[in-house]
Amino acid sequence: MEHTITAGTAPSLTAETAPPARPRVSRRSLVPYVLIAPGVIWMLVFLVLPILMMVYVSFWTQTTFAIKPILTTRSWVNFFSSTTYVASLWTTLRIWLIVLAATLVVGYPTALFVGLFVRNKTLSTVLLVLCVIPFWTSFLIRVVAWRPMLGEQGAINIILRSLHLIQHPISALLYTELSVVIGMTQIYCVFMVGPIAFMLSRIDPNIIEAARDLGAGFWRIFARIILPLSMPGVVVGAIFVSVMVLGEFATSAALSGRKVNMLGNIILTQVGSLKWAFAAVVGVVLTIVMGIVVSLFLRIVDLRREL
Amino acid sequence: MADDLVLDGVTKRYGALTPLDRISVTIPGNTYVSLLGPSGSGKTVLLRVIAGFEAPDAGSVRLGGRRLDGMAAHLRGIGFVFQNYALFPHLSVRDNIGFGLASRAVEPVRDPAALRRRVDAMIALVGLEGLGERGVHQISGGQRQRVALARTLVTEPRLVLLDEPLGALDANLRTRMRGELRRIREQLGVTFLHVTGSDTEALAIGDQVIVLDRGTIAQHDLPDTVYNRPNSAQVARFLNCYNIFPGRRDGARFVSEIAAFPLAESVARGDGAGREPAYCIRQDLIEIRAADAPVASGEAALPAEFIASEYSGASIAYFFRTARGETVEVEAHLSHRRPVELEPQRRYTLAWDAGRAVVFA
Repeated sequence: MEHTITAGTAPSLTAETAPPARPRVSRRSLVPYVLIAPGVIWMLVFLVLPILMMVYVSFWTQTTFAIKPILTTRSWVNFFSSTTYVASLWTTLRIWLIVLAATLVVGYPTALFVGLFVRNKTLSTVLLVLCVIPFWTSFLIRVVAWRPMLGEQGAINIILRSLHLIQHPISALLYTELSVVIGMTQIYCVFMVGPIAFMLSRIDPNIIEAARDLGAGFWRIFARIILPLSMPGVVVGAIFVSVMVLGEFATSAALSGRKVNMLGNIILTQVGSLKWAFAAVVGVVLTIVMGIVVSLFLRIVDLRREL
Repeated sequence: MADDLVLDGVTKRYGALTPLDRISVTIPGNTYVSLLGPSGSGKTVLLRVIAGFEAPDAGSVRLGGRRLDGMAAHLRGIGFVFQNYALFPHLSVRDNIGFGLASRAVEPVRDPAALRRRVDAMIALVGLEGLGERGVHQISGGQRQRVALARTLVTEPRLVLLDEPLGALDANLRTRMRGELRRIREQLGVTFLHVTGSDTEALAIGDQVIVLDRGTIAQHDLPDTVYNRPNSAQVARFLNCYNIFPGRRDGARFVSEIAAFPLAESVARGDGAGREPAYCIRQDLIEIRAADAPVASGEAALPAEFIASEYSGASIAYFFRTARGETVEVEAHLSHRRPVELEPQRRYTLAWDAGRAVVFA
């Protein structure tokens, strides 16, 4: 009896005293938009608009001293019918692949050491900072410093000669594609080491001990556990290196004596001679190449899941 | 026996710390041994030394007569179940379990059909049917625990080391997994060495219990011996079911700061006399009486003030304070007595059969 009474009165009581919960429509819902607004505006004004403009300008009509907004495909036809420019596209892709492979070959073991074998967090941070030390000097000095290193009278030739390993200085070291690759590998290696070392340092040491306990030797553990778990780092590092190498012009100009022409160098000379439409064509080609490269890398791993 | 694990004088030092101090113990094959110790007692270090993740500074480790120290971890044939499971996050349940068989350096299973058959058998043994293709993040904590166990057991180790394997599970699941672990071990006939910080888990799961205290073995006995006859006050403390009064022996009495207790003929005496003389009485052997109630001969008594009680279903814990401010806990099982109504801040007499005490003096 008592039970039924309380059961009957309780709901009406609460209905009277407690007002229905009001959905929280507050200023808070605006907060996310306010937060991203500066970034979005910045990107629109300084990235999206210029890119659209670049695509537009690439179809303008170029005369020797002037450029008119009359749409034409002349610049595009010029680019793809010229062996010089197509060759520079291939040079860019070749140097990119070689530098990418070189940074991976040099960077992965370094990252493995810093991220996995050094278990002391302070020490591994110190080692990563050491990798960044070259960036404390200017880009120009870093590039130019390769000349006394690789030149005919440079350090490497002097050492090899004093060790009697060679009779005549090796001239192929400087002002060749090799010197460009060496210089770029040195500069961009750290962008490969960082992300990989980060992913490796996130691997629970127990996981590796578990694999060892289950009977796997080092190479098996590396192939089945460490490498797959570090792939997101490899992909992020590869994207960093690719984007920077594909757009390079300074290292290739300084270390090749202007013999190696990458797309970036072409853009620079075309802009220098006021050929805006043609420079825009090369810019669009470069952007498309980067887009393809980045989307291919993103196919390898699902970064949203891994990070 | 052929699968005995024999530790002889195993010592491990880290700078000034000595987490393992001359550990000598024989763990027979085909048994379930639980290793109880508080955090910092060296129990995880001991497992890691046996597994080969750490090298001992002195002493030897033998399994079935074969010397293990100096041998690489992946060649020892010892299974290790980690506290946090340490599953391979990028592999499915099936690939986690199959990893050891497919990837081990010694006699890897290369035939996919054979691998599949053995993994399936193990999935069935630990009760993970139908979850083989799931990722290890798509299953529950208890299921992950089973994957960790299956991954180790499928490689057929002779000895499995479990480092607080139930620590991350909720209480309900923990109790169920105890039975599961015992069943699985019996079915395989291997040795489990199970590290735990929980006294009830250690007593419930082990055929034998080893109590570790500051890097040394404090006691190695059957569970009921450890429970009823701890051989030092420290072991009694780890069991969480004794009231422990420090003091000294004086003829036929044990004199502590709060009271003098008569020592019965049949009293259990430990040999830990030199280290820490103490009088220990189990919480569930104490009877609560009115302050002026008589005390029979052969009984020990202690006046104390009631503070509070804690009800936990099948039993109830009463907390008392002695004149010197020490807390005494009394546990009453409600299956054979009704809870008594006690008045806070009132004095009562706590009495017990003097022969049931465990005395180190």
